[in-house]
Amino acid sequence: MALLEVQGLTAGYGIVDVLFGLDFSVDAGEAVVILGANGSGKTTTLRALSGMIPAGGSARLDGTPVLGTRPDRLLRAGVAHVPQGRGTIVDLTVEENLRIGGSTRRDDLAGDIERWFEVFPRLGERRTQRAGSMSGGEQQMLAIARAFMSRPRLVLLDEPSLGLAPLVTAEVFGQVGALVRETGTAVLLVEQNANLALDFASRGYVLEAGRIVVSGTADELRGDEAIRKAYLGA
Amino acid sequence: MSQFLQFLFIGLGNGAVYAMIGMGLVAIYRATGLLNFAQGEMAMFATFFVWTLDDVGLPLWLAVIGGMVGGGVVGALTYQVVVRPVGDPHQKPLAVVIVTVGLFLAFNALAQLIWGTDQRPLDPLFGTGELQLGSTYIAWQKLGALAVLGIEAALFYVLFMKTKLGLSMRAVASNPESSGLCGVPVSRILLFGWALASAVGAVAGAFMAPNSAVDANLMQVPLIFAFAAITLGGFDSFVGAVVGGLAIGVLTDVVPKYVGFVEKMPTAPAFLAILVVLLIRPQGLFGSTRVVRV
Amino acid sequence: MSTTAAPGVPARLLRAAPWVALVVVLVVLPQVLQPYWVNRVTGWIPLAIAALGLNLLTGYNGQISVGHGALYGLGAYATALVVNEWDWPFLAAIAVGAVVCFGAGVVIGLPALRIKGLYLALVTLAVATLFPQLVEQFSDTTGGTTGLAVTSLQEYRGRMRERSVKFEPPEWTGLAADQWRYYLFLALAAVCFVIVANIVSSRVGRSLVAIRDNEVAAEVSGVNVAATKVFTFGISAALAGVGGGLLALYNARVSSGSFTLAVSLYFLVAVVLGGPATTLGPALGAVLYGLFKDVVEAEVLPEAWKPASPLLLGALLVVTVLVAPGGIVGTTRQVRARFTARRLRGTTPP
Repeated sequence: MALLEVQGLTAGYGIVDVLFGLDFSVDAGEAVVILGANGSGKTTTLRALSGMIPAGGSARLDGTPVLGTRPDRLLRAGVAHVPQGRGTIVDLTVEENLRIGGSTRRDDLAGDIERWFEVFPRLGERRTQRAGSMSGGEQQMLAIARAFMSRPRLVLLDEPSLGLAPLVTAEVFGQVGALVRETGTAVLLVEQNANLALDFASRGYVLEAGRIVVSGTADELRGDEAIRKAYLGA
Repeated sequence: MSQFLQFLFIGLGNGAVYAMIGMGLVAIYRATGLLNFAQGEMAMFATFFVWTLDDVGLPLWLAVIGGMVGGGVVGALTYQVVVRPVGDPHQKPLAVVIVTVGLFLAFNALAQLIWGTDQRPLDPLFGTGELQLGSTYIAWQKLGALAVLGIEAALFYVLFMKTKLGLSMRAVASNPESSGLCGVPVSRILLFGWALASAVGAVAGAFMAPNSAVDANLMQVPLIFAFAAITLGGFDSFVGAVVGGLAIGVLTDVVPKYVGFVEKMPTAPAFLAILVVLLIRPQGLFGSTRVVRV
Repeated sequence: MSTTAAPGVPARLLRAAPWVALVVVLVVLPQVLQPYWVNRVTGWIPLAIAALGLNLLTGYNGQISVGHGALYGLGAYATALVVNEWDWPFLAAIAVGAVVCFGAGVVIGLPALRIKGLYLALVTLAVATLFPQLVEQFSDTTGGTTGLAVTSLQEYRGRMRERSVKFEPPEWTGLAADQWRYYLFLALAAVCFVIVANIVSSRVGRSLVAIRDNEVAAEVSGVNVAATKVFTFGISAALAGVGGGLLALYNARVSSGSFTLAVSLYFLVAVVLGGPATTLGPALGAVLYGLFKDVVEAEVLPEAWKPASPLLLGALLVVTVLVAPGGIVGTTRQVRARFTARRLRGTTPP
């Protein structure tokens, strides 16, 4: 059984429907990407799963229906969401952001915090700095580390490349990839940048105007002619 | 000179009360982003709890604690039932103003309904004695108010900077959406913010009441002073509320004694402070510049 | 193609019917009610005019004022002093009050350009609290808390004396004093409402609303935002001043106790409950407030329960914002529109 099983997912904003019945899944420890252009509904998908907007259809985590659960409850169930634009809490320090990430845990966070400072040394250097004063790339790493602080089983990662320079994005993907392999956490990534995403993920779906049009392994998607033209610049 | 010192300490003592109300206002502003025009009436309501417990026979300090608890419950309920459904204050300022005006009228009337319109006396927590320094006499009550303000400020500091709850409150104040995604129970945190503000109001009322009496009009003028305090100090700064409160207290008590023109207009210095600060430096002395965006 | 309730009845007549009924009721009222009640209703009219002014500023133009009670008071004192010191006729005295208040409105409106939303509400709240103190400070002129009687030279028992102002109905009307006063007040109110209705439906009125909805967009599309906002503040203040002047003449007295913070709050109550950004809203709101004060509180409730009236008003205010933000007028329109839509759908051929 898949860790996350989604069937017939629909969602919208007010009277405008954005998603028209999506079917996809993520297995434990797997990295899956949903590719799509601007406006295809990628962010809406994650927000629907996360309980931030009302949604229809079904989503099961380990068989338990979770659609419509509030974000903070979903986190306790083991799903962490790194929102678009990073969502760092700008008035808190780096360390405080990490602490908030682990706020649902009852054990001592200090050990984990130190570990993340080892994985992301730049964050360690800025541990008492206000999160809002860091660069985009550093904030992205902070947001990801923060999500992992809750020791989730599944991380929803929304367009980490947005607003970041290519080199920085590559570095972020590299770090996240290593994290995922090490911790065995599943990741559902939505991205525009197909190149990096298909290196990172093992499986993928392509979203167009609120519907999934293609699905397959990363290799299959990379080899697909139409996708190459549309998303990889052939 | 000694007369000036006397006025100064009266001003500081009163200012401590404005600072206390102001800290409640800042707590609500930081949590939910709005200016609670009903804060004074809610504090007055909590002060009536204090009076009731005192009247029943409890020692005054215990009555104050009881009033804090009662006030906290009222604040929490107000948030849950009325404030939460309104939505984002920055997008609907008129709705927020109307709601707080409605709460103002409602709490004022409710207090009169429950406790009547008689003036209820309340003893000063620190008695009526005075400290004598040379030829200057300073009431212990005023010094007590300053001391209690100091304790409150210290407790706020510890709460916000050293506890997990305080961290959650700061997180929610800065970014409620992300905080929710990190598992912080956002509306429960906001609820606590409102409860805290009203609880602090009970303490402020306990110091305000002995000057006059506990009645429905107790907080109407002090509310403006408290707002002047946080405008001067910065809407989202607790330090600002303390400094601003003391400053406004001194301005309000000292200036009319020396400037005949405003002798009968105690609110005038406060009004000017509000106007000038909002025109020249809207973030006040200690507030963050993000306060300014409307 | 017209929507008709009954065949043969043109739509225009149907739409005019409620207005005609309203005018009939207003005109017939003093003939039907006891003088005591005519006087009570007359006392609601100054509030209606002030609420009209506040609605123009806050409902249509989006500038929040919690301080219109101060302008109300300013108009009242100006009118009172003009009548007392210069013995001017009432309308002229009210006009002076209106002009003074227009000036005050402009003076407040200028810094209001830089202070918006909740913060403007705060400043106006401070003004409202300051006003009674101002009256105290200048009590030599204003009479402080005791107040001033508004008097004029009248013939009494063969001699000219200073007596409280009265409204003497001329012989040819055959009306009693209370009825005459009612009609005068009503006429002035009607003029004010018509003026505001014209402003609102003109290009100026549209720019008012445009500024409320999106100031930047309004500026870009050519509206002189600053001038419009300041001018609106002035007009709004002048209307409050007219209301205040009428109040002074109605009571034949002014004192600081009539112009506390509560007055400003009740103006907001009238605007919100009646229906913000509507022509008739403020009048309905004033009537509603008047009913609460003069009927519910004064006649119905026992002594110990009198605070239930403002409690109900406060609660109504909160409920209105949450559930029916259009007030009475706005919500009625919504309900009627939905009803019409449902009826239309029902009559659509399959």
